[in-house]
Amino acid sequence: MATSLTEGPAPGKFLTLAFAPRRGVLSIVELVVLAVCVIAVVAITNRYAVDIMIRTFLWAGLALSWNIAGGYTGLISFGHAAFFGIGAYTSTILLLRYNISPWIGMWAGALLAGCVGAVLTIICARLRGPFFILSTLAVGEVTRLAALNWRSLTGGSEGLEIAPVPSAIDMVFKSQWPNLLLVLAYMLVLFALSIWIEQTRYGYYLFATRDDEDGASAIGINPRRMRALAMAMSAALTAIGGTLFAQYFLYLDPTHIISPDISFQFALMCVLGGLGTASGPVFGALIIVPLSELLRGSLSGSASGLHLVIYGTIVIIVMLYFPSGISGAIARGSAWLWSRTRSAASAGMKNP
Amino acid sequence: MVQNQVCGVRRDEEPVMLRLEGVGRHFGALWAVREVTFTVGPGELVGIIGPNGAGKSTLFNLIAGAVTPSAGEIQFLDQKITKAKPYQVARLGVARTFQIPKPFRQLTVRENVMLSALRRHRTPRRAHAVTAQTMEFVGIQNLADTTAANLSVGLLKKLEVARALATEPSLLLLDEVMAGLTPTEIREMMAAIASLPGRGITVLWVEHVMMAIMNVAERLVVMHQGGIIAQGSPTEISSDPAVIGAYLGKNYVHASRP
Repeated sequence: MATSLTEGPAPGKFLTLAFAPRRGVLSIVELVVLAVCVIAVVAITNRYAVDIMIRTFLWAGLALSWNIAGGYTGLISFGHAAFFGIGAYTSTILLLRYNISPWIGMWAGALLAGCVGAVLTIICARLRGPFFILSTLAVGEVTRLAALNWRSLTGGSEGLEIAPVPSAIDMVFKSQWPNLLLVLAYMLVLFALSIWIEQTRYGYYLFATRDDEDGASAIGINPRRMRALAMAMSAALTAIGGTLFAQYFLYLDPTHIISPDISFQFALMCVLGGLGTASGPVFGALIIVPLSELLRGSLSGSASGLHLVIYGTIVIIVMLYFPSGISGAIARGSAWLWSRTRSAASAGMKNP
Repeated sequence: MVQNQVCGVRRDEEPVMLRLEGVGRHFGALWAVREVTFTVGPGELVGIIGPNGAGKSTLFNLIAGAVTPSAGEIQFLDQKITKAKPYQVARLGVARTFQIPKPFRQLTVRENVMLSALRRHRTPRRAHAVTAQTMEFVGIQNLADTTAANLSVGLLKKLEVARALATEPSLLLLDEVMAGLTPTEIREMMAAIASLPGRGITVLWVEHVMMAIMNVAERLVVMHQGGIIAQGSPTEISSDPAVIGAYLGKNYVHASRP
């Protein structure tokens, strides 16, 4: 099944399978990692471990959402916490005030976030690079301040609390299991969606828009439309993650939900794992979330804050030595191994 | 409605692919292009020459929609494209290359060309076929799986041409595609460009490599300080005193002799 490593990926190849992560095709490495995730869900029952798993999968899904804008389209956003917050708050407010199920509320949140995302790119259509990033940072902060001060709607700094009364309709569960399955599904669906985007013509239009807007225009792609589409999609999917977050933790307050820290985390996971790849955000989340939990747990007594130092060091090392992230490192490593084995085989043929 | 105009009104006139009528553009007080009027007929291969800063690239940007004219009108086939956006002009069948190449850096050569083919062909198989043909025509098929970011300037120029051609345009705007090519590659590219009208592609071509454009273009338009100073066949142009004074220089007449 595996195609040769020298053959370029192309849209429309749906059934090819590669060994290492590569754009547009499913790889064995990715399948193994996802299979391990699924097995872990079935095998691990420890409450603390399950909690970490829920966070990990949720963050993986959120990072995958961010990647659609930041990785595929080059719309690096440090304001995605706004969309995350919109998702969390919309479904929660609908549930608490109007008794509308979060199963419906999450789509309302996604729609609202998608519209905000599209409007943001239309307003900032002329901004590029760092200027666009700054404008997204501002959107995040404005949203946070709005949530803090619009007390009648959001409860201000006191936050909103969802009553911990188990009910499947209200998406509140007695055990962690349903939450775990939900976030696992969220991650898997987003991973599949990312692979699909990489294969379609629209995915390629996004890459073209990211790499050169003038070049994209010259072949008939409307870059503004592509930017708006990508940002809307990314924002809507982030908002769905926000609802899942709210329904697991059952408590929201603006300072924690819509903080720049959250936005930076999305970006960091993608950069660490491999920007603009389907596997990168998953790898990033699988490393960062458990690591930061463990570090926080083990160091909080003796040296609080040290976990941030270790965390920062790892990020710097990866950015210096693996600029294309973990996903790119695996791809290069396997390509190197492949060429080694091939040259060894041809040498063997010459001198039997 | 639109078809009626084509069939009914303009029957007696020469068919026109591109018409520029008093086109001008100023940046502040400087008119980069002024009062430019000329037409290009279907299947023509027209060259534009002139010294640096004459307004050639700005003229291309005006036609392609990257810059909006301050004055005048531009018409492509039966449509006014004076205020059209670049992607709209491209969708009408005008492809362009950029003087400073603008490849999709993170994609491979094949993917770069494929993107153009995908604009027109919805089935991947057909797009693949067009991509393969185009890469071979330009001579970059060996580099199909190289990432565009790793290409040299000369190869990027070829990629520009391939990307433009893969959109299957009716009008192709070439902006200094010879810069950075070796003498052999220049001869190959000359042959490729010369064959384009035969494939139903009209060409408007800006070039500084005189040997190439003088031999391939059927008609030359000479620009100087934003305006057109001469038009005609390469032989007429190379002996035009105004052109020699503004651009070619006196030595050109001697140098171009075998």
